[in-house]
Amino acid sequence: MKLFSKKKKKALIIGIDGVPYSLLSTYVKNDIMPNLKKILSQGFTLHQMNASIPDISSVSWTSFNTGVNPGEHGIYGFTGLKPNSYSLYFPNSKDIQTPTFWEILGKTNQKASTLSQKYYSKIGRPYRSIIFNVPHTYPALPMNGILVSGFVAIDLRKATFPESAYPYLHSINYLIDVEAEKAKDDKVAFMKNLFECFEIRKKAISHFFEEDSWDLFFACITETDRLHHFFYDASKDEKNPYYESFIRFYMELDKFIKILYDGFAKISQENGFFMILSDHGFAPIKQEVYINSFLKEKGFLVLKEEGEFYEKIGDQTKAFNLDPCRIYIHDKGAYPRGKVRREERTEVLREIQQVLQTLKGENGEEVIDKIYKKEEIYHGPHTGSAPDLVCLPKDGYDLKGTLEKKEIFGQNIFTGMHTWHDAFCILPSKIHLLGKQSIEHQIDYVLQYFAQ
Amino acid sequence: MDHLSRLENKSIYIIREAYYQFKDIAMLWSVGKDSTTLLWLCRKAFFGHIPFPIIHIDTSYKFPEMYQFRDERAKEWNLNLLIGRNEEKLKEGMGPGQGSKLDCCNELKTNALKGIIKKYRLKAILLGIRRDEHGIRAKERYFSPRDSQFKWDYENQPAELWDQYQSTVEEEEHFRIHPILHFTEFDVWSYVQREELPIVPLYFSKNGERFRSIGCVPCCSPIDSKAQTIDEIVEEIRVSKTSERSGRAQDKENIYTMQKLRALGYM
Repeated sequence: MKLFSKKKKKALIIGIDGVPYSLLSTYVKNDIMPNLKKILSQGFTLHQMNASIPDISSVSWTSFNTGVNPGEHGIYGFTGLKPNSYSLYFPNSKDIQTPTFWEILGKTNQKASTLSQKYYSKIGRPYRSIIFNVPHTYPALPMNGILVSGFVAIDLRKATFPESAYPYLHSINYLIDVEAEKAKDDKVAFMKNLFECFEIRKKAISHFFEEDSWDLFFACITETDRLHHFFYDASKDEKNPYYESFIRFYMELDKFIKILYDGFAKISQENGFFMILSDHGFAPIKQEVYINSFLKEKGFLVLKEEGEFYEKIGDQTKAFNLDPCRIYIHDKGAYPRGKVRREERTEVLREIQQVLQTLKGENGEEVIDKIYKKEEIYHGPHTGSAPDLVCLPKDGYDLKGTLEKKEIFGQNIFTGMHTWHDAFCILPSKIHLLGKQSIEHQIDYVLQYFAQ
Repeated sequence: MDHLSRLENKSIYIIREAYYQFKDIAMLWSVGKDSTTLLWLCRKAFFGHIPFPIIHIDTSYKFPEMYQFRDERAKEWNLNLLIGRNEEKLKEGMGPGQGSKLDCCNELKTNALKGIIKKYRLKAILLGIRRDEHGIRAKERYFSPRDSQFKWDYENQPAELWDQYQSTVEEEEHFRIHPILHFTEFDVWSYVQREELPIVPLYFSKNGERFRSIGCVPCCSPIDSKAQTIDEIVEEIRVSKTSERSGRAQDKENIYTMQKLRALGYM
């Protein structure tokens, strides 16, 4: 049976960073998002979805973009350490080990993956994509279409492919991201900045949406994630001074979804493929949890006085944590001062798992929800570089990788934290999902649509 | 004319052009090999007596060898040496151990320089940067305008064809002038060798290590090297394939990335 008809193909994907299923369904129900409600009544279904592990934008979107798990695409977070060293490294688009779906559709992929193998002979002609503001696509690599990178893009020129797309962005004073640095000094100004940024994002998205011929259009809204980091306490609390702004943001988002959806319905003659998704959920923060301080207290981590960041790791260290909760064993041979021998590994892992389970928050609540060993969740040629243990917290406890805290629990300016279990996707209702899905499975529907 | 003389001539031409255009000018001297080369060229340009002040931005975290070298040369070459220090922040204890390296550099280097530019109402500064040092420096011009916030609008720069330099300046701006922009690291060492220039001893190998690039003590690490003389360094650089600044802390793009990640609590 074929799910989709064989007419001219067009797909629109809207990514909304950090929007939880629970919040979105509430806002749809309460008529804060009437346009989305209408769309959902026209043959689309809202599903709850799992993010990647860890539930960080760079990992989750890369899992969506490549349709494979981190063990295959090789991205585990915003930060990493250079091989056999303690120097910090920031993985970027060049570190992704597998082709993205626009490379598969555009037939420009130079790498292969389980997903690209599957569609290698099924995609007829090369399809042209516009990929806009998707996190972890910086620097913009050559592809069939136009790509403007999202977070963490630094230089707009390097964030734009091809170069001919740059003059327009420059002319509208395009902003890659809000200035989150400013939030700690002036929350009111930051909120204003969020709306301004959203305006310019909408303007640029509409420009490329209308002006360029494409087969697939994928745009991400990232302001929602920033809004949630700093104002999530306002999401359901009418007494919160930022409640009105928070709701207004969602109403504007709703209007923008309608504009794109209507525009798409017109050009795709009701035959296109439309989906919306987020990369992770959000929940209110009770406390931040500094895993490295905990590892220090339990004697697994010993820091030196000198050095910056992970250079501080001393030779007595057995394990350390990278943000949010990626625990690496300080293996002999893998790190300059590594001390854990091969035969000790299993025991060290077991001990850490054990102590992590004892970690208790307010009122003796459990902090850690799930602990995974890398071979339990990752598979593929890059599982070797994966963290040895990854933890998912109970909602409310935001696990952190910093080395700079002395205490284990603390507060920051943030009021929202990422969640793994509460991302969402909106898919055509004719697609029946068997149980809850993960973000890396979603792109398969898009490729199936183009392959049939 | 040989290669090094051609480079030297071009630099001297730019230095003299700069001094002709701006009387309120100074040279920035980090005491490293590049700016010491520039200092030497300035002396040559004005026959031994440099008619403008030499600024050293002192973060107080430089190597002791650098301070010694600075003071000896200043005396020997009769330099009008100005020391730029951000005393206020130093008193507050700003340093590489306090806060991020970015803040430290910003306060003790950039703001110290801003302070001295303002104090002496400088309109132009000579710097010893080179095009081959770093990707972003490839975009530099010999005469590079900056606004009062030191912002460099690299997309809006005058062309510099056939040695025609735009060297006039608007109010509230200053010019950065880069007379040795066209030197490579190898050229600098070859020039040091030819001119028998004195150089901070940190560049020479001690216990199998030497510094290829020097700055503040906490942010520089040595490279493995056996080169104990200038001749040996020239030979080493000639065959080297690693980046000159590989011993230096994070480059700029990484610093911005870090800043962005920190602002959202990811680090």
